[in-house]
Formats: sequence, structure tokens, C-alpha cells
Amino acid sequence: MDSWTLLLEGFATALQPQYLIFAFFGVLIGTAVGVLPGIGPAMTVALLLPLTYTLDPTAALITFAGIYYGGMYGGSTTSILLNTPGESASIVTAIEGNRMAKLGRGAAALATAAIGSFIAGTIATVGLTLLAPVLAQFAVNLGPADYVALIVIAFVTVGALIGSSVPRGMTSLGVGLFLGLVGTDTLTAQQRYTLGLLPLSDGIDIVLVAVGLFAVGETLYIAARLRHGGIDVIPVTGGWRSWMTKDDWKRSWKPWLRGTAIGFPIGTIPAGGADVATFLSYATERKLSKHKKEFGRGAIEGVAGPESANNAAAAGVLVPLLTLGLPTTATAAIILVAFQAYGLQPGPQLFQNQPALVWALVASLYLGNVILIVLNLPLVGMWVKLLQIPRPYLYAGILLFAAFGAYALNFAVVDILILVIIGVLGYFMRRFGYPVAPLVVGMILGPMGEEYLRKALQLSQGDLSTLVMQPFAATAYIVLALLVAGGLWLRRRQTRYEQQLTESIAVPIKADQEV
Amino acid sequence: MDAPILGASGRAEATRPAPRVPLGELVFALLMLALGVFALVGAFSIHVPVGVKVGPTIFPIFVSIVLLGSAAAVLVSVLRGNRAEVEEGEDIDPDAKTDWLTLAKIVGAVVAHLLLIDVIGWAPAAAVLFGVVAWSLGAKRWWLAFVIGLVLGLVVQVVFGGLMGLSLPWGPALGWLGGMF
Repeated sequence: MDSWTLLLEGFATALQPQYLIFAFFGVLIGTAVGVLPGIGPAMTVALLLPLTYTLDPTAALITFAGIYYGGMYGGSTTSILLNTPGESASIVTAIEGNRMAKLGRGAAALATAAIGSFIAGTIATVGLTLLAPVLAQFAVNLGPADYVALIVIAFVTVGALIGSSVPRGMTSLGVGLFLGLVGTDTLTAQQRYTLGLLPLSDGIDIVLVAVGLFAVGETLYIAARLRHGGIDVIPVTGGWRSWMTKDDWKRSWKPWLRGTAIGFPIGTIPAGGADVATFLSYATERKLSKHKKEFGRGAIEGVAGPESANNAAAAGVLVPLLTLGLPTTATAAIILVAFQAYGLQPGPQLFQNQPALVWALVASLYLGNVILIVLNLPLVGMWVKLLQIPRPYLYAGILLFAAFGAYALNFAVVDILILVIIGVLGYFMRRFGYPVAPLVVGMILGPMGEEYLRKALQLSQGDLSTLVMQPFAATAYIVLALLVAGGLWLRRRQTRYEQQLTESIAVPIKADQEV
Repeated sequence: MDAPILGASGRAEATRPAPRVPLGELVFALLMLALGVFALVGAFSIHVPVGVKVGPTIFPIFVSIVLLGSAAAVLVSVLRGNRAEVEEGEDIDPDAKTDWLTLAKIVGAVVAHLLLIDVIGWAPAAAVLFGVVAWSLGAKRWWLAFVIGLVLGLVVQVVFGGLMGLSLPWGPALGWLGGMF
């Protein structure tokens, strides 16, 4: 009951006009940047980080909540409306929306995605409201060895489950851990791996790494093989009020709820993030649907379910982030950076020391969802315009803002140089199939992990067995083994499923082309 | 090139006509391995103050082990013929070859930008960055790219530098504008 009072107080803060404007602005710009092709949620959040440098913590976090939800949602508009040949089942869940648009039902696809995101986001935020305080309460009693266990869980699940190859993911994690080491050791004031260079003695700023990998690296990767020629955007017809027919509603509401039920729990556990949730939802809907034949040709259930799952997972990810300080996706890792920029450390202490701020943030998540649906449907014409930005200007703009963000950190040009170097590293990682998310997570959690590890070992006077002898830590390692095994099994199924789906979809596509 | 020793699997070759020796992948994996060696060697040269039991070298050694182990695993899997699975994207042409010239131009543009900021001011340097990148990506009218870049740079400079107080250098050409804030 107590948390409801706190939540109401949070609403009282978040509903103040100036904060409401920040929430509105965050959703608007988050969606706008998220809609831009080639920009995923992680890049959206990384690019917009500098925008909040000059705000006070509450305003910045409220803006960020808006950016997060907006960026998550923006991507679905892109995949529904942008007609890119050659991209087959790499995003199997985007395919139904795209097919619907081609059949002239793009409006219904957008509407079911938007309403589903709203419903899933709201229910999942209720879940967050209920679950987070309980978890934070529990986490207060955890010792250093328990935190080491939690951080190891985050390392291994992120390294092994994000991306398509376990060794490549772990290598990426290792590079991130290494970059986190560069600088001066906080406990003993010893320089580590600085090569005697002054700019490195304070360590490499994580913002440079996040922006460098996601904005510069990604831009270079796209620039190297840019698709030239016209941009094919599928037009949306009709007023937005008449988008969904009665039948569409009837076919959508169950997938919305099922997507939420799948997405939220998967978001809260470190199991590979929203990808797994959308895939599971898609597979479920396909199995349960009465319109199985429509799948692969534009089934509305195949949009409604995965989109809801995606948004519910986005809210679920915030549970471990806020209560334990553990980011389980790249986007969450960058949000953690935003917190740290204000000297805030997410975790159980945050709930005790800064309840006003935490609950204002949670309240703004509810508001963000409402703003999202109010903005998205009427503004779809504007999003379509954004999709048509000529690509040379788009990517030049992304690079400009990346360089600006790097420079605005300390007003030192050497930061831009570091940004470019990280960007080139990001390009090669992407080119050779290394996921970049584990690097960012490793770099953020590495220093935290080291601190807890050394604390734990100091308490036990160097006895390593302390790390596994605590009941919580021991349980955590068993759970870890289960998570990794389960996650890898799921991914194998996903790959096989997508292969089969590509084959089964390939037939209707050919038929379409012949007509 | 006859290199059946590397045993590129038939499956990988069937899906994608790639060179038989994935040279780039091998070099990158070797670099990662080298980073692991560097980290391990570096760990032992970190000074541990007297009397410190749990010192600044423990975690670096752990990190080195993670790097060495996983990089070695990548190397082995590449040698056994498992090629990297690369992501696709909305703006990526899956059939295009890597355009190294464009990449060099873009990296050059960012380097020029960082060298020019303190000389000609932030907004003009931003125009250079935007213009060169847009031009190298194939913008139809190159002068328009520079104009857009300059406008964008000025907007950012006025909003963030002038109104919100970030200290972006105005440069000699725009010093009079900076004086107004």
C-alpha cells in the first residue's frame, strides 16, 4: 500500500507542467529518432544522451523515460512502412506488419501496434510498480558476494545470449571489461593500462563508447554498403480514426494480452532481452491463430502480439535495472549511464534514498505510454516524412550529433578522436559478427563487479570460497546455469523456426510477384 | 588458393560465395587474442602497494582470462569453418561490396572536424563534417549538403552554446554572434 502513496506523489511531481513538457518532448523526439531507419532503441538513447546534460536530474530522467518508450515504439513504424527488398526473415516479427502494409492495411498494422504497445506498456508498468519495491526491499540485505553473483549472471547471460555466437559475445564482453579497467584504480590509486597517456588516466568515458559503437560504428557499417536509389515507403491511406475494423479489434485483443504476459517476465530476467520475447509471442500467436494461412502474408495477430511483447519487455528490463542496478540489454546499460551522469546509482539504495525521484520516474512511465498513443496515431504522416529523409543527409546528421555529444562531455577534441577509434572498432565488430551490446554492458558492470569482488574477498581475507558459499550466491549460480541452458535452447529453436518460416513465406512472396 | 586445411564447411559456402580464407575474421580474432595477451602482461606490471591483500591486479587477470579464452574459441571456430553471421538493416544493400573509399572519407571528415573546431569554430567545423559525409554518401548537390550542415551547426550552436550555456567555441567568423549571448 505504501508504494501506492509514493506513486501518487510521483504523479504529483510528474504532472507538474514543466515535467509534463519534458515527458512530451522525450516521447516526441524518442519516437522521431526511433522511426529513422538504421537507428535502433540503443542508438536513439545514446544519441539523445547529450540533450539531457543541462537538465536537473528529475527532468532528465523523465525525458529519458519518454525517449526510451518512444524509441522502442518508433522502430515498429519503420519496419511496417519501409519497403526494403532483400531483408527476409532476419526480423521475422516485422514481416507481418510489412505484408499488411503492402496489402493496403498498413493503417491497421500501425494502429494495432500502437494500441498493443500502450496496453502492454501500461500493464507492464503496473507490474513494475508492484514488483520493484519488493525486490528492492529484498536486495537491501544482499552482501558483496551476492552482488558478485548477480553481476556474473549479467555478464554471462548478456555475453552468451545476445548475438548469434557465444564466443564472439564473450569476446565482446571481455573487450568491454578491459576498457572498463583503463584508468586509475579507485581503491589504490594505481594507473592501469593508461600507457602513460593523460587523457586515459581518468578512464574512457562510457558515453564515448556507447555513442561510438552504436552511432559511429553503425553508420560506418551502413555507409560501407549503403543501399542507393529511391526510398520506397508504403503509403498509409484513410483517416486514423477508421483504421481498425471491428474484426481487427476482435483479433487483436487476445494477442495484446498474451504478448504482455510473455514479454514482461522475459524482460525482467536476463535471457536475451526483447528479441526472445517477440519471437516467443510470434510463435505462440501463429500456433493459436484460427487464421494460420494468413501468417507470412500479413496476419494482424503477428503484429499485435510481438509488438505488445516488445513493449512489455522494455518495461520489464527496468525492474532489474532500477532495483539491482543490473542492465540486461544495451539500451538499459545506456540508461544506467544517464543515471550515473547525475551521480545516481540505481539499486536498492536508490529506492531508500531518493524515493521521490524513483516514483516520479515510474509515474512518468505511465504518462509516457499515454503520450505515446496520443502522439503516434495522429502524427503518422510526420513519421512517414521522416522515413523519406535522403540517406546521405540522415547519416551525416547522425555523425554530427555523435561528434557533438562526444565534444560536449568535456569540450576536449581528444574525446572525438576516442569516439572515432571506438567507432572503427564497432565497425569491424559488426562486420565480423560480434554483438556490441555485451561490450557496453561489460564496460559499465566491470568496475562495479571489481568493487564488489574486492570487498567480498577483503571480508573473507582472500578466501575465494566466500563467493559461492553464501546461500543466495550459490542459488544464483544454479539459476545462471539454467538461464544459459534455457536461453541457448530457445535460440536454437528460434533459428530453426525462422529458417522454416523463411521457406514457407518464400512461396507466397513468389506468388505475389507473379501476380 | 588451395587451402583445404582450413576446412571451410560446405554449408557455409553454399549460402554465401565468400573467399575461402576469411582473412579479415582471422586477423580480427588474432587482434582480440593479442589484446588478451596485452591485458595479461599489463596486469603483472601494475604496481601493488605494500600490505594490500586484494589488490588492483586480481580483476585484470580475470578479464585477461575471459578475453584469451573467448578469443581463442572464436579463432578455433573460424578455422573450423564457422563464418560470422552479420546483421542486416533497412538501409543496407545485402549484395553490395564494402566501399572502403567512402569509409576512409567519412573517418577523414570526423578527424578534420576535430582538428578544425578550435581553429574555425564549432558551427563551421560541423558544416565541414556534415558536408563531407553527405557528399561521400552520394548527396546529389554537394553545396546543399554544406549549407544544411552550416544551418544545423548554427542551430545547435545557438541553442546549446548560446541559450543553454555549453561552451562551444564560436570561432573567428562567428565571434560577433557569440558576443550576443
